Amino acid sequence: MSSVSQRPVSRRPSATVFYTLAIGSGVMRTLSVVFDIAAINTTEVNPIIYGFLAQWVSFLVSIILVASLSIRRTVNGRRQSLGYDLDPDFDRLRILPKKPMIYLVIAGFFAGISTLSYYILTGAANASSMLPYGQLVIIYLLLGDLVAEKDTPTIVEIQSIVSILFGVLLIGSTPSGFDIGALLIVLGPMNVSSAFVTYYQRKTKRYEIRPGLRVDSLNMRLWSLLVLNSVMSLLMIPFMPTNAVELMIDYFVPLFWMMVGSGATTFLALVMYARALGKGSMSIVNSLSAVSVVLGVPVTLIGNLIIPGGFGVIQTDPFMWILTLLGIILVMIGILALQASDVKSIVIIKVKPHTGDLLPQLFDIKGVERASALAGTHDYLLTIKSRTLAKTNSMILKRIQKIPQIEHIETLVVLREYR
Amino acid sequence: MTESIMAYILMEIEIGLTDEVVEQLRQIDQAIRISVTTGGYDIVMLLEVANLEELYDITVHRVHVIKGIKETQTAVVEKMIAV
Repeated sequence: MSSVSQRPVSRRPSATVFYTLAIGSGVMRTLSVVFDIAAINTTEVNPIIYGFLAQWVSFLVSIILVASLSIRRTVNGRRQSLGYDLDPDFDRLRILPKKPMIYLVIAGFFAGISTLSYYILTGAANASSMLPYGQLVIIYLLLGDLVAEKDTPTIVEIQSIVSILFGVLLIGSTPSGFDIGALLIVLGPMNVSSAFVTYYQRKTKRYEIRPGLRVDSLNMRLWSLLVLNSVMSLLMIPFMPTNAVELMIDYFVPLFWMMVGSGATTFLALVMYARALGKGSMSIVNSLSAVSVVLGVPVTLIGNLIIPGGFGVIQTDPFMWILTLLGIILVMIGILALQASDVKSIVIIKVKPHTGDLLPQLFDIKGVERASALAGTHDYLLTIKSRTLAKTNSMILKRIQKIPQIEHIETLVVLREYR
Repeated sequence: MTESIMAYILMEIEIGLTDEVVEQLRQIDQAIRISVTTGGYDIVMLLEVANLEELYDITVHRVHVIKGIKETQTAVVEKMIAV
């Protein structure tokens, strides 16, 4: 029998590690926004100039980190990169195959538009507004799914859409009314582009480079950041002041560590998010990392006490603060309601004799989170997720049933899950 | 890529003993996911083990001895794709 000391899997991280990673991801996201806002407000640098410098410094930070994580070590007689612990698909800093690279170029293109919108807004907003603004992408992802599936929304989906939308509207309100310009950027380019980024990143992550090996999140981050920066830099040109080069030279040294801080915390947020996803469900990870929406308020207030005005423009009117807090609560409720409503099922499949490999075909069905080919009585086991049981049937099971080689399907609805 | 072995153990449980069985299963370090389900099986457990010997050790000495488990079906994962 194998002894406990020989079992690498027995050193399973505890729930504490999972919660630390998921909440840590939200905290890191908050810190990265705080670094940006503090840098812009303490030096009064043009947000576009700062954005240009910060994004390229972030690329430099990412390339150094990914290169460092490519260093190999020997674990239990096997050569492994340091980054293996962060993402088991990671081997080393590498150029990706053509197809995932095309997906990343498209994702990077939209990320460039979204990031430019972000930097335009950072000049006039504080962290407590910026963080909830970014959550609006959930609405577009939901609407995109509904349109693509020609599906009717569930009551929870409608509630979440309305809640997040109203929350963002409240957060964007000012004593003189709504900041129409900011809201148009938030509702338009910033989040519409983010939705496309998520879609193409998901497509990239699901791409199988070779049997059993998928695109790793570290190289994905690096290459999409390169495209993002290139697109963003091109789009920034019309917004740049005439003395842009001089300003960049002047501000580079004073802002350097702030930019490194922003780049490193963004990288950590993504890595912690990816690691948390490996240990828990996406819904719980997303809910926990949404702590960033709430954290923006204390960070802005405390930060402004330490450096007055350094953490963005804050409202002095208590009524406006109440509106902002209500908006944040609505955004949080929208996110949590959506995550909590997920229905998970396990589908066991038996196929007809002389059937080839159906695993890729089954995994390609939307809603399938995990597909396993089995040895024994059953041939495949799928873990699927949808918003309601009705959608499990109409969106996922019906598609599985359409595969002619399938002989028998058994669906087990998950009532409770332990990890 | 990981070189460990993954396996699903599908279990039928005696009525009224699900919680007790789940509590016992949660003591197994190699259990990475335990789902309580409706349908033909009552509990589905995903294990990650170093080798088949360890899988045998867990199924025979840890799972089969739990009071309340009526029947088990062990399925070794040949290949897994996950998001």
